[in-house]
Amino acid sequence: MSNSKQTNNDMLKGTLDMMILRTLITGHAHGHTIAKVIERTSDDVLQVEQGSLYPALHRLEDRGWVSSYWGLSEANRKARFYRLTAAGKKQLRSEVGRWRQMAKAIALVIGDVLHDGGAE
Amino acid sequence: MSWRKFFHRSQWDAERVQEIQSHMEQEIDDNVARGMSPQEARRQAYLKFGNPQHVREEIWRMNSIAPLENILRDVRYAWRTLIRNPGYAILAVLTLGLGIGANTAIFTVINGVLLRPLPYADENKIVHVDQTVPRLGSDPIGLSIQEYYDYRNQSHSFSDFAEYHSMLFTLLGTKNPERVVTGVVSANFFNVLGVKPVLGRLFVPADDKIDAPPVLVLSYAYWMKEFGGDRSVLGLAFEMNDRVHTVVGVLPPLPEYPDANDVYMPISACPYRMDPMMIRDRDMRMITAYARLKPGVTLRQAQTDLATINGRMVAAYPKSYSGWTGFSAVAIPVKQELTHAARPTFLALLGASGLVLLLACANLANLALSRQLRRSREVAIRMATGASIWHVVRQMLTESLSVALAGAAVGIAIAAIGSRLLVAYAGRLTPLAGEIHLDSAVLLFGVGSAIFSGLLFAALPAYVATRTRLTALNEAGERSVGSDHGTRMRTALVTAQVTLSFILLVCAGLMMRTLYNLLSVDPGFRPAQVLSMQLNLNWTKYKKDSDKTNFFHEVLVRTEATTGVQSASISWMAPLNPNQAVFNGQVKIDGQTLPDGTPAPIVDFETASPDYFRVLDIPILSGRAFTDGDKADAQKVLIVNARMARHFWPNQNPIGHRVKPGNSKDWWTVVGVVGDVHQYGLNKPPDDTVYAPLDQNPIGNAHLLVRTRGNPLLLANQLTAIVHQIDPQQPVTQIRTLDQMRNEQLGTPRVTAMLLTMFAAVALFITIVGVSGTLALSVSRRSKEIAIRIALGATKQNILRDVLSHGMAPVVIGVCAGALASYFATRAMTNMIFGLKPDDPTTFLGIAALFFIVALISCTIPARRATSIDPMKGLRME
Repeated sequence: MSNSKQTNNDMLKGTLDMMILRTLITGHAHGHTIAKVIERTSDDVLQVEQGSLYPALHRLEDRGWVSSYWGLSEANRKARFYRLTAAGKKQLRSEVGRWRQMAKAIALVIGDVLHDGGAE
Repeated sequence: MSWRKFFHRSQWDAERVQEIQSHMEQEIDDNVARGMSPQEARRQAYLKFGNPQHVREEIWRMNSIAPLENILRDVRYAWRTLIRNPGYAILAVLTLGLGIGANTAIFTVINGVLLRPLPYADENKIVHVDQTVPRLGSDPIGLSIQEYYDYRNQSHSFSDFAEYHSMLFTLLGTKNPERVVTGVVSANFFNVLGVKPVLGRLFVPADDKIDAPPVLVLSYAYWMKEFGGDRSVLGLAFEMNDRVHTVVGVLPPLPEYPDANDVYMPISACPYRMDPMMIRDRDMRMITAYARLKPGVTLRQAQTDLATINGRMVAAYPKSYSGWTGFSAVAIPVKQELTHAARPTFLALLGASGLVLLLACANLANLALSRQLRRSREVAIRMATGASIWHVVRQMLTESLSVALAGAAVGIAIAAIGSRLLVAYAGRLTPLAGEIHLDSAVLLFGVGSAIFSGLLFAALPAYVATRTRLTALNEAGERSVGSDHGTRMRTALVTAQVTLSFILLVCAGLMMRTLYNLLSVDPGFRPAQVLSMQLNLNWTKYKKDSDKTNFFHEVLVRTEATTGVQSASISWMAPLNPNQAVFNGQVKIDGQTLPDGTPAPIVDFETASPDYFRVLDIPILSGRAFTDGDKADAQKVLIVNARMARHFWPNQNPIGHRVKPGNSKDWWTVVGVVGDVHQYGLNKPPDDTVYAPLDQNPIGNAHLLVRTRGNPLLLANQLTAIVHQIDPQQPVTQIRTLDQMRNEQLGTPRVTAMLLTMFAAVALFITIVGVSGTLALSVSRRSKEIAIRIALGATKQNILRDVLSHGMAPVVIGVCAGALASYFATRAMTNMIFGLKPDDPTTFLGIAALFFIVALISCTIPARRATSIDPMKGLRME
């Protein structure tokens, strides 16, 4: 596996984690719902294989950011529900904060480039 | 990663399956609701989800601990392989178990005796100081008190210089009068050893003053044995040598070194040591010295220091040392003195058991090699499907290490039992045998040698495996891969095995012959049915010579009147008693003058009552034995042994010649010549000896020797009672038969020979299995070739000769190499063998012959199989 691809994957992982946490802030949900919400909210920009959601959920649960339980879905089907833990909320906040800072920094850098480009 | 998850992976996985299942159903339902056909709905759901298997695997991996996972898988695989082939597994585990067990048992002894630090502070600084004169043999001769003062006062290499001797005294005040082994030491002796009391105090300089009140320090073992470790023992008073001794302290547990002392007293309390005559006389050597090196002083410097003083002494007192060529002072590290007897024996045994383990490894490597060759297809397939060489090798290492560790478990169990048996044996060689027990170092050694063997016997097949090529997969591969290569390697292994086991067999052979030589030494007397008891008189009670002789006469008269007693005698020593020191001295021979500067000849002395020679069945070669007429006031008479008669009066009758022994003022007349006796050991040739009659040379320490009609030990209680009738306070000690003493002499070589022979037998067996196994394999590999040759007209003899020469080639080469190696290796055994040289040609030839015969027999089985190959069947196999 090449290094750049690895980095790409890590970034995607981080983003996916954040999106899952973000989704769960509105309440409990099972895997299928989370997948649908992510699909819808990201305007299908992030084409994620739904399967990759589950290792991510497992990872989040492992870190104590989400917890899970078996329940019944809207279609009366047995499903695994996930909810955000207190630690997960905290993580989401810091994660979002970090993201905003970075976006701001990127915007500044990009803005400069555009500005310089415009001056030429 | 966490352990809990690690062990709940399957359950976790089952839940994921359910969860993914539920997800898919939901998605399919949604798709159907959007109007897709059920098939399309399912297809789209899967497209969107990706590979569920992959998801499960990813989660599974997240829950795993990768290296552990791999090891577990390898172990499981190894387990399955071994279970499928239990014969191989059991054989391998047992072989290794035996090898590791033997090694670990020997190592337990080495660990306890040679490796563990002594219970003394800074043990490397403690030396034993003594003197030697080459003419008197290599044993130290001791120091006189004047010599001790010279060394102590003039040396400047030692921080403490202490004197020591050990005597038997009667201790009164416990339940029975007891003879206690008493260490008589200067106050700083325990500073030299660097030990602290467990109770009370040790000696202080004030205890050394002439008028100091006598005190005692108890050894830990004696404290436990006599007082059960009672702390109120401090302040108890006992009578010794007519003086009251107070117990002031108890020593910690220490090795029985320098002697197995029960108690210690300061020099001021020892009547012998304080005798002004003894202190003045430079020629009376009754003590020895222990010293602690000053920091920074090397052993060599201390020896030079002592040598200088020694030279000064020789120059200053020519009367004492004239003609003492080679007289010198020695400083021997205590550690060396404690271990020098055990070290070569146990290192030799460790070498032997190490060889056995190596041989076992070679056999297992051989076995594993042929298994590996049979499995080359499997390895080729695994490598073709993506396994790396490391994967394959790791798998094989796991398999061999599993076998090796199982072997270690068996081995450590064997060692636990074996080392207990070895303690008694080691006890003959070193006072440190009490330190022998299993500890973490031993366990580490056992497991370490298992891992070492595991790696060793996996190395070869692993090497072969790494050379496996995909050609192994095609039809002919089975035969072509490694066949030539493997055979050559296997032959090399077998040759090495033969070499190693030949060395071992030669060593065992030498030890067996040593034992045989010792057994066939004629001791010069008949030890059967003779009981020996030690009677050491209390010197304060038996002061006059007549008191002593009267007591002994009374004992003899009453003993001889006992039914079952044939004859009885009193003598100074019992022949072959291992606990006695050589007693000898100078003699002058009447009519034989020595050139100036030549030292007077040295002979052994013994004192004997008239029946001594009858009791021991020592032949009187000419003249007469002592009689009751040889009384104290009669003419002084002597009996000499045959060796002495030949030495001083060659071609003459020694009867009537006169001899002046030791410091005697009288000339003693020789009245008889008796046969030579091995007085001090079967391996020590008899020396010139003079015997003096008991009445003319009264002794205080004696052995009562009794020849009985039946089992001598049955009379022991009765005879002890007789002694107690005469003097209830007289201790009777060391009640043993002469046969027991003789066997004790043989004990060490017997066990050494037994152990080496056992190792050698195992080695021979292992090697022969290797030789014939390899040959059998090569026969089955060549069966087609042999079939063709038979079909082309080869006779049975041709085939037989061919196969046998094939099988015997490694044996011949190995025996030659082994003989060469043994020629050098056996030199290390020079001090352990008796009556033959380490390169004894008979042993070498005998072992070689044994090897050839056994190997030849073992080779005939595969050879016969080769001759009975049916050419038609063999060819049809194609």
